[in-house]
Amino acid sequence: MARPQKKLFSRKKVCRFCADKELEINYKDVKTLRNFVTERGKIIPRRILGTCATHQRQLCEAIKQARHIALLPYSGSSQG
Amino acid sequence: MRRYELIFILRPSLGEAEITNVIDYTTKIISDENGAVIDLNKWGMKKLAYPIKKELQGYYVYCEYAGTPAAVAEIERKYRIDDAVLKYLTIKTADSMTAEEIQAAIGETEARNAAAAKEAEEAAAAEAEAATAETAETEAPAAQE
Repeated sequence: MARPQKKLFSRKKVCRFCADKELEINYKDVKTLRNFVTERGKIIPRRILGTCATHQRQLCEAIKQARHIALLPYSGSSQG
Repeated sequence: MRRYELIFILRPSLGEAEITNVIDYTTKIISDENGAVIDLNKWGMKKLAYPIKKELQGYYVYCEYAGTPAAVAEIERKYRIDDAVLKYLTIKTADSMTAEEIQAAIGETEARNAAAAKEAEEAAAAEAEAATAETAETEAPAAQE
């Protein structure tokens, strides 16, 4: 079944962490982690961010650890 | 010896004595098991992202140490009982450390602290110079009048 290709997820997204080796994923680094979380505190999916699988897994783990220590909220905006 | 990172949050209403008390028994447990504290950093009061035990602020303490798994279990057991500790998180960063690596790590943190202290001093000195320059300027026009 040939489906007409409606929307190719346009540009080839490069994983931010693979491109820039300096960026370290650390649960203590709230400023960087905020970039990967929506306003409501949800983790942004990989297909939107363009990260590779390994880094997305590390990112998720870091975000969940930061949530455990109340550096990031589980839900709701952090400017509560 | 495994390398661990420990962050724990204390109640904001504690006094200095109680905070040092908690830190003391933590370091005691580590050293009892022949471990070594690599870094101890008090982040201080921070606003929590969500209320924990009805508290909105917490006193964060960060500790990096080399220790045995038994030490970790003991610390967490004590934290569970202690009312003053709101949350704790222990993360293993390295599976094994030789004594030399531990020494190297301790040396690194000391170097970092020394560098940070020097920067703070230099910043303070620069500020003091700027302040004296300003007072000199304000004195000059006043003298002219």
